[in-house]
Amino acid sequence: MIGIVNYNSGNFTSVFNTINYLGYPLKEVNTSFDFEDCTHIILPGVGTFNYAMEQLDKLNLLVPLKQHILQNKKFFLGICVGMQILAELGNENGNCNGLGWLRGSVEKFNFNGEDLRLPHIGWNTLESIESNVLLHGVNQQDPSFYFVHSYHYYPSDDYSYNIIYSNYGYNFPSLVQHENIFGVQFHPEKSQENGKILLKNFCELV
Amino acid sequence: MIKKRIIPVVLLKNGQIVQSRLFKRHQVIGSPTAVVERLSNWSSDELIYIDISQHQLYDLSRDDLNQQSFSSIQEIIQQVAFKCHMPLSFGGGIRKIEDIDMRISSGADKVTINSLLYDKPNVVKEGVRKYGSQAIVASIDVKRDESGNFIVFKGGKHPLSVQLQDFVTQIVDLGVGEILLNAIHKDGTASGFDIELINIVVDLVSIPVIALGGAGNWEHFSEVLEKSNASAVAAANIFQHSENSYYKCKEYLAQQSLPVRFSSKLSNQSKNL
Amino acid sequence: MTRDKVTYCKKCLVPSYSVNNMFDDEGVCNACRVQEQFDEITPDFWAIKEQKFLELAERAKIKSKHNYDCVVPVSGGKDSYFQVHKALEYGLKPLLVTYHGNNYLPEGQRNLDRMREKLGVDHVVFGPSIDTLKKLNKGCFEIMGDMNWHAHAGIKTYPMFLATRLKIPLVIWGEITWSIAGMFDPEDYVQYNKRTVYEHDMRGYTVDDMVKRIPGIAYKDLAWLTMPSDQELEESGTIGIYIGNYFKWDPNEHAYEMQKKYGFEFSEKPFERTYRRMSNLDDMHENGIHDYLKFIKFGYGRSTDHASKDIRSGYISREQGIEYVRNMDHIKPNDLQRWLKYVDMTEDEFDTIADSFRDPRVWWIENGYWYKQNLWGVPSAYGKVKLKQELWSKYL
Repeated sequence: MIGIVNYNSGNFTSVFNTINYLGYPLKEVNTSFDFEDCTHIILPGVGTFNYAMEQLDKLNLLVPLKQHILQNKKFFLGICVGMQILAELGNENGNCNGLGWLRGSVEKFNFNGEDLRLPHIGWNTLESIESNVLLHGVNQQDPSFYFVHSYHYYPSDDYSYNIIYSNYGYNFPSLVQHENIFGVQFHPEKSQENGKILLKNFCELV
Repeated sequence: MIKKRIIPVVLLKNGQIVQSRLFKRHQVIGSPTAVVERLSNWSSDELIYIDISQHQLYDLSRDDLNQQSFSSIQEIIQQVAFKCHMPLSFGGGIRKIEDIDMRISSGADKVTINSLLYDKPNVVKEGVRKYGSQAIVASIDVKRDESGNFIVFKGGKHPLSVQLQDFVTQIVDLGVGEILLNAIHKDGTASGFDIELINIVVDLVSIPVIALGGAGNWEHFSEVLEKSNASAVAAANIFQHSENSYYKCKEYLAQQSLPVRFSSKLSNQSKNL
Repeated sequence: MTRDKVTYCKKCLVPSYSVNNMFDDEGVCNACRVQEQFDEITPDFWAIKEQKFLELAERAKIKSKHNYDCVVPVSGGKDSYFQVHKALEYGLKPLLVTYHGNNYLPEGQRNLDRMREKLGVDHVVFGPSIDTLKKLNKGCFEIMGDMNWHAHAGIKTYPMFLATRLKIPLVIWGEITWSIAGMFDPEDYVQYNKRTVYEHDMRGYTVDDMVKRIPGIAYKDLAWLTMPSDQELEESGTIGIYIGNYFKWDPNEHAYEMQKKYGFEFSEKPFERTYRRMSNLDDMHENGIHDYLKFIKFGYGRSTDHASKDIRSGYISREQGIEYVRNMDHIKPNDLQRWLKYVDMTEDEFDTIADSFRDPRVWWIENGYWYKQNLWGVPSAYGKVKLKQELWSKYL
């Protein structure tokens, strides 16, 4: 049972529609009780780091998330801001604490003078796609996904996560995995075929 | 590295998709959603869907067509979002924050704002605050007159007295995420893009600029990518003129080694619609 | 727009709600504007257009090697002769492909049979079983008020399907069928695309719909309505072009030219619903009941369309056109009798079903009669209402 968290953070409908299209049993999650029969949890996210954390707190979802993901080790996929809040800290609108499940912080792209535009909007490719189970079957000729963000995850130096990088001025993490926890900076629900393959791979995890 | 985007634009007028010529003449293409399915089949990078209807009637009331009948723009957006498997921007008819709310909750990823930029900039700021800058695209209509001067038009119809450069700077201050630059004098002419205009705006801002107006063949697209730093090239009419059009455009640009997203995969289903 | 205040194009005769057309700010329709553009094309421009056709012909010849260079979809009509004539003129080896809908007039059938001999070309004629045709005739009339759906679908699908399977690189269609509504400009060089066929020729109905809604129709009965996939079209490199985009298109001239060159026959009897004698000999119902149903739905038919076309080409005046419309647009034609026997239906049943498709933007009911506005400014009655009483409310 795939649970998709609806915390008023924008793209719930697209994610829901795509998982539904793929044919997996799914449900909307917005109370702690909803988590019970889920085997997989997806946390979508558009908008700011701060707003996402505020909403999760307001809806009392922080405790059940910790319980079901960190303790019960259910599979978790955070999308865009849903991935960013996995970090310890974000500084989009002043400093704000994240879930802290991954060591590191979320900050704006820093190009050191290079003329690159923000937000980072559009299709960008992932490197070494064979290195992560979520990317099996993704088009090798064109391993691209749709990104739309100005901030990204900066892992701290002492990490042991499986990280896949994309390049925008420099290499930045576009996919992170730590045991049962996955985070993707891009939007698989908007990434056509490749996106569907990734979501299918996630739903198939046991 | 990020790819340059090629974005199809679809115009809705009074319940039908239309082509546009110089913002004046409109010719019928078909129903609100069939074009979306084809553009989706061809793996379009994004879709920009703009409502230029003059009145609120969206239903053609023809019983002899196997077409869903729509009684409101919201229904159309929901159906379009359902059939559109790529990021969707929706524009037209946005007058207040509730209009933005409705479009985003109906499935649009972004909204394009035109008249509101001039009439009610505070509403634009509110939209940015609520949904993030990446969800708000500023749509700017510019015409080059006979003397070569650039004039900004509100809603494509009303000339403004503000200078292009000043207007663009004001817009950026509102916090919008992208600019959709529409060259009125090129609209539907198939005569190529106005590269000079594109470069003026691109050089003024540090947010992505989408260039629209003038596409007549695939070389026009490569010209924009080679001679300007636009982040995306958009076109409306040309993608309705031949089979597998969008695919062929990408194929051409990839053959020119331009940084576009292209995979040679096409649908092998007999029934695409 | 209210029902009694319908407006008509200032130049031709079409009403404002005419199918796929739109009026501009000056009250002139897109079809007239597109014709103006065609008229403004200078000889230099026609030379450029001819050059584009030459390039397409060359591309076809290179790709085809020992195969046919092109498919020409033909009905045996005046346009068909012109299309083949042009292909031969430019050194292409054509394969003629006909969808035979079983509605040929005798002179139309003769014109079709004659093509191989008169033009010296190979010719494939395909026809679905009569049993399938009867079911589609009846079923599509009931579903969408168009018994000729099979023909629009078959004509537009079968030649592409065959060309793609046989890896023939070019399909040469004739008239840009949407010129009737001015949907594209001469400079668009519009090519065949599936969406247009699906939306406009097939009205959005697919094979799935037919199998679901018509008793006795299975997928195998419609195997001939297989559209090539996107992938197949790319692999075979087949593209469909319209000769009307490259050469001056004048159906009246063509007809006389083809008569002179190849003995093309005109209709023996005049048609009841249009004054033209060289159109649609391949399908007795196109000018007959199929068009009558257009009048039932939208309050205008072929005489409006043909007269409007001829006004645009300068053959007749607007006043003459109005006279044709006044006399012929509303006529219930005799081929109805053949059709009723063909599908085993009574005239009463026909009228009742037909009435259910009347457009409420056009028609209203007064004293049990159908009324609509007319070109000459005064509404009038057009026959008794046969529609079931419970469906009358939207017309009152």
